[in-house]
Amino acid sequence: MPQHDVLVVGGGFAGLRAALGARASGADVGILSKVHPMRSHSSGAHSGINAALKSGDSWETHAKDTIAAGGDLSDRSAVEVMCQSAAEDVVALEHMGVIFNRDEEGRIDVTTFPGSSQARTAFVGDSAGHVILQVLFEQIVRSEIRIYDEWFAASLLMEDGMCKGVIARDLRTGELHPFHSKAVVMATGNLGQMYNGGTCSLTGTGDGVALAYRAGVPLIDMEMVQYHPTTLADRGILITEGVRAEGAHLVNKKGERFMERYDAEAMEMSTRDVVARAAMTEVRKNRGDKGHVFLDMRHLDKARMTARLQETLWLMDDLEGLDPSEALIPVKPGMHRPLGGIKIDTFGDTGTPGLYAAGECASTGAHGANRLGGNSLLDCIVFGRRAGESASRYVRGATWSPATADLVREQEEMLNEVTAKDANSDTAGAIRRDLGEIMDKNVGMVRNLRGLRKAANSVAKLQERFGALGIRDKSGAYNVELRAIREVGNMLDVAQVIIGSAEARQESRGCHFRSDFEARDDENWMKRIVAMHSEDGPKLDYEPVEAG
Amino acid sequence: MEVKFAVKRYDPITNADKSTQTYTAEVDEGDMVLDALLQIRDEQDPTLAFRGSCRTGFCGDCTMTVNGKGAIACRTKVKKAWDGAEDGAIELEPLKMSRQMKDLVYNAREFHWNKFRAVEPWVDPVQPPEKGEHLVPGGHDKHLTESMRCTQCGLCDQGCTVLVVDKTFVGPAALTKAYRVVADERDSRKRQRLDKLSLPRGMWDCTHCFEASEHCPKYIEPTDRIFDLHDMAIKAEAGPPKVVHHYKSFAASVKAHGWLDEGRLAIETEGFTNVKGLMKLLPLAVKAGLKGKHPMPYMLHKKRPGHEQIKRIFEKWESKG
Repeated sequence: MPQHDVLVVGGGFAGLRAALGARASGADVGILSKVHPMRSHSSGAHSGINAALKSGDSWETHAKDTIAAGGDLSDRSAVEVMCQSAAEDVVALEHMGVIFNRDEEGRIDVTTFPGSSQARTAFVGDSAGHVILQVLFEQIVRSEIRIYDEWFAASLLMEDGMCKGVIARDLRTGELHPFHSKAVVMATGNLGQMYNGGTCSLTGTGDGVALAYRAGVPLIDMEMVQYHPTTLADRGILITEGVRAEGAHLVNKKGERFMERYDAEAMEMSTRDVVARAAMTEVRKNRGDKGHVFLDMRHLDKARMTARLQETLWLMDDLEGLDPSEALIPVKPGMHRPLGGIKIDTFGDTGTPGLYAAGECASTGAHGANRLGGNSLLDCIVFGRRAGESASRYVRGATWSPATADLVREQEEMLNEVTAKDANSDTAGAIRRDLGEIMDKNVGMVRNLRGLRKAANSVAKLQERFGALGIRDKSGAYNVELRAIREVGNMLDVAQVIIGSAEARQESRGCHFRSDFEARDDENWMKRIVAMHSEDGPKLDYEPVEAG
Repeated sequence: MEVKFAVKRYDPITNADKSTQTYTAEVDEGDMVLDALLQIRDEQDPTLAFRGSCRTGFCGDCTMTVNGKGAIACRTKVKKAWDGAEDGAIELEPLKMSRQMKDLVYNAREFHWNKFRAVEPWVDPVQPPEKGEHLVPGGHDKHLTESMRCTQCGLCDQGCTVLVVDKTFVGPAALTKAYRVVADERDSRKRQRLDKLSLPRGMWDCTHCFEASEHCPKYIEPTDRIFDLHDMAIKAEAGPPKVVHHYKSFAASVKAHGWLDEGRLAIETEGFTNVKGLMKLLPLAVKAGLKGKHPMPYMLHKKRPGHEQIKRIFEKWESKG
């Protein structure tokens, strides 16, 4: 029976950094992940990580940029912690073995990303994510932290108002096992699979968010769903903001640099919400081409592109057969990252004893209503470490007894119910595709009351279809059908919260845009939306944001 | 575009006989093999097991065998696979080097990750600077940064001609990882690592067939990285002394004479003072002599025409450090 002081669920940046943080402060740690940690979506992060490393820059300026980009909705103390820790945490990554591109002195080089007032993004060509994930994993192996890869966390063990571990399914055998731990750090990442054509990996199904939500833990900022301005038009594959940092232009079908109309000063270097909405508006006004606009990189120096954007060039060639030094690259905005998630403080504490969270599945509020490029990796690294350290501190003082056998049995029976049911013609995958269509259409970059109500009704119908799902595959070994059912169930629950929160926020701010409330409303909406699970759907509450 | 996939299916409980199942799918021209598999799973058969995560070729999860060759499913166009299909269907199997666990899922832990762990794949910094980062001069080893593109997809191992006959060989994927650490100037255990990599089943078991480089989707050239490791070992005099002597003698002979002096190579590999080893060479020397292939003592060995140019190549390389 697996038992650890701290069990980290998820093996991306936040999870691995949390595990290292907890281990360094003395805890016995295990990592449980539905894919091998090196297969986590963090590997797909191209951009880089923000830190005020150079003279002339300061964490205060970084904080100011972050809050401005976030439509002033950011939690000020979270921004402060994140930006203040940035330099030290990035240097710590370097000490672990991250190479980083270097300047002439041999120090970490930085580049200017859209939305930042300074050169502040440390990078590794265009594969920072892959390299950082690799180095974190190297340190996990070095620390002899036990990894349970290809295990699926199916529910939280909640007893006496505490989180006492998880029940997880071993994907190799199909068996359920309780993982008793004094603390759990949830770091399951993205939920983008509930949208079609987003940038998210197949693993991003909001599992941790759903598990916490159903266990009565509050979610926050769920209406904030960030779209990335540039994804390959046909496939929704991310094209890094690094290309615009290198000077790429965005043009419409007439060849006009349309950003002139939306942000004449910053142009392509404007924040993501502005650029994404500009691209969408161009398409709506028939200035796009078959639903997309173009990235123009033809004027960029070829040698420099190869040095800095090699992976992006390969992507364009392999997937679209395009050479950006000759052709325009068709792009459109695509769902990229939720800004909301499990509500945590700057210590990764969810408020439920024994449950911590970090990374994309959680929200400190640092990003407000729109996230700055290069702040996501930073968020995962800073708050991942802090969540791990806090969990480690907590277990030292915790009086704890493992979850009772009754609770374990009851949960396992509930989780195995579906395996006894025979399948109809429906599949979890079909439900997911239909959910994606609804979310893209009604809960995407532009929302309004009618669309959101429609989405809520449609999701309710999908819930019914979900309830009727059964199982064809009667084998335990790598039962992907069973996994897909759990995942779509998680996404349906979380989708309800996104829709409910988006309906409640009657204003437009950052990435949340309501066509029926186009203006920002500081008088009524300098507050964040908190959602709690109830029998009749999400129950909403509000938390004020201190301006200044 | 309508295409057919012939999938080698297997389940330890319900389908232990490994039957092949054919699926027909209507796909777009630009679809990747992974897209088609997802479509089949969602629309036709939710029991079809395969791995897949990032969809962009960064995570190495969806490696499989397509038409008999290792491939990254999310970076392989269906159209191309269909054009190359024999018998009217795209053939899909799991990666071949390891056990099939179910359908297209292979045992990555047993085969891949254990080898990865064996090379102690982490940097042990000498002494991190008290303040700030290590200073790494600009233009630091290009191969080091490029080797970090490796996604551990396992395709080089699939291509390896040694692993086919000896599964205990550490293999090109793990050796590429080893290179990443040994070549990192911040690591303090370079010599120790090179010694360990020189143990049996380590880096000297590579036969230089270049299949690893042929198979690498990120152009890391694992075979060249293994050469680099050899090179570093020779320079540091790490590893088995005979191998070090062999390499040095080989190079010295070609540098001096423009060609290989096998007599010298044999003697220097064994070592002048290694009487027992030299005695063992005697029968071979006699046999070679009887067949008229007796090597001249190397002081008398004639230089090859154009040897000076060859020498210049050596000097140019040596001056690069």
